[in-house]
Amino acid sequence: MSKPIILCVDDEITILDGLKWNLRKIFGDAYSYEFAMDAEEAMEVVEELEQEGEEIQLIISDWLMPGKRGDEFLIELHQLYPRIVKIMLTGQADKDAIERAKTQANLHTCLLKPWDNTEFKNALTSGLDKFHLNTDSH
Amino acid sequence: MSKGNILIVDDILANLQVLTKMLIKQGYKIRPAGDGKLALKSVQSILPDLILLDIKMPEMDGYQVCEKLKADDRTRDIPIIFISALNDVFDKVKAFSVGGVDYITKPFQVEEVLARVETHLQLRELQQKLLAQNQELEASLEHLKITQQELIQSEKMAYLGQLVAGIAHEINNPHGAIKSSLLPINDFKNYYVAQLPDFLHFLPEEQQQAILALVPRILAKKGPRLSFKQRRQLKRKLMRQLEQNQIKNVAIVADRLEDMGIYDNLELLLSLLKSHESEKLLEILYKLYDFQNGLETIDIASERASRIVFAMKTFCRFDKIGTKVRIEIVDNIETVLILYQNYFKQNVKVIKQYDSSPLIMCYADEINQVWMNLIYNALQAMHYKGTLKIEVTQQDNQVAVSITDSGEGIAEEIKDRIFEPFFTTKPPGEGSGLGLDIVKQIVEKHEGKIVVASKPGETTFKILLPIGST
Repeated sequence: MSKPIILCVDDEITILDGLKWNLRKIFGDAYSYEFAMDAEEAMEVVEELEQEGEEIQLIISDWLMPGKRGDEFLIELHQLYPRIVKIMLTGQADKDAIERAKTQANLHTCLLKPWDNTEFKNALTSGLDKFHLNTDSH
Repeated sequence: MSKGNILIVDDILANLQVLTKMLIKQGYKIRPAGDGKLALKSVQSILPDLILLDIKMPEMDGYQVCEKLKADDRTRDIPIIFISALNDVFDKVKAFSVGGVDYITKPFQVEEVLARVETHLQLRELQQKLLAQNQELEASLEHLKITQQELIQSEKMAYLGQLVAGIAHEINNPHGAIKSSLLPINDFKNYYVAQLPDFLHFLPEEQQQAILALVPRILAKKGPRLSFKQRRQLKRKLMRQLEQNQIKNVAIVADRLEDMGIYDNLELLLSLLKSHESEKLLEILYKLYDFQNGLETIDIASERASRIVFAMKTFCRFDKIGTKVRIEIVDNIETVLILYQNYFKQNVKVIKQYDSSPLIMCYADEINQVWMNLIYNALQAMHYKGTLKIEVTQQDNQVAVSITDSGEGIAEEIKDRIFEPFFTTKPPGEGSGLGLDIVKQIVEKHEGKIVVASKPGETTFKILLPIGST
């Protein structure tokens, strides 16, 4: 299991499936895709995978979720794993939440649902490029 | 200044003159008429305030003239005083039955005539005033009713505004999912139509059979979602099994199988995985799987979207006619809960206890508002964190809906005031304070009752509604 990982977090399984199809279409088998249905599960996944020595390069997270919201989750995540590139996904724009995530979690970008396929592709490729830039410079 | 307009009808000129002189002296305006025909013509041009009507006249007698006047809407309410001669047979019964209000007898007693004229004119004036006042009151009432409706409407709109953000999310989610679903569906279509037929044609018999045998498993209903730890464990086991069977590209194959929810029972698959064309063969299966998934996703997503649209339509319906309809009370409450879904996601636990769901006759639109209001208040009271409990029970011929929140409660001293219009504990600008007043009005309109019980950590609003005649 040594392929880099993209993790998707959303409380709707239909959205997770949708993300999977979109990611497969763009990246095919270059990445492994993991899924979580809330912030708590997502944290578990991240911790487990990091322990196993896997590399999570990017996280796409919904904002409106039961329990912890997306911005809170990404901010916490940033404290522990600053290198992971973070993208927030939302069906409604809460300007304050997006601002917070930008300043406190170094949010790469925010996508609105339903997203435009080109926009989605650009967000992801630029995000992954960013990851490589940061890692290479270390 | 004229005291009134009087029409005097008498065929004897002398009588006309006597009465005219008498009344003009008092300040009345007089119009004389020598017979019934002239009298009727006269009222067409000017409506008198009172009519003095001789009974004995040639051609048309007083009673006939009176009947004609009473038959016309314009002249019906003009008081008529009959004039009769002392030595004539005067039928009082007939006089009153045709609509006369009084009578005077010749020879006239001046004071008596004046007194009766005065009295009836005053009476007429009072009647007209009363009529005018009534009309004003009715107009005011109508205006109030409209204002009340407008208030209820604007409260509704205020709620709606607040919910729109959450609802946008609820609709955008399914929309996004549906859009994404088109990827595997189009993929499948292109693949199955363009590539597959040729490929299958050259496939060995047994592999064709294996594929066919696996199809039901691929299309089978998915089980419950496993936790991440469970998935991880199963995947490791799977990968070991694949390695043991010397399958190439274990990582990719394991990914594909995991996607399809296949972790074990690999017998049929192994023959396919070991072949040269393993990649293509696996592709057949997972494209089919994704295709199926895509269809299911569209199904689920569009159902979600129509639920929220239905809830909104139900809420926004403008019931101008306001007829009572029979609805299932639980459905009605659930509709409102759909609209509030997003608020519940964030730290609110919702407990529903529907012991029964009777059908009740009600103004569905307004009853919706009752739940909207109470649930919103409950959420605010607990600052969107806590437990919301909704119970529906039937007590005799009433349905009882209880909405309980875990907020800090309502202080004893304001408990009696909460239903007052414009009373609110929220800071200025937040909330009109009309919510509970409107709730009370709606409940009372349905001949129901509201009971409030509150202690810190548990506040219950209980609405009792009669089930109504079927």
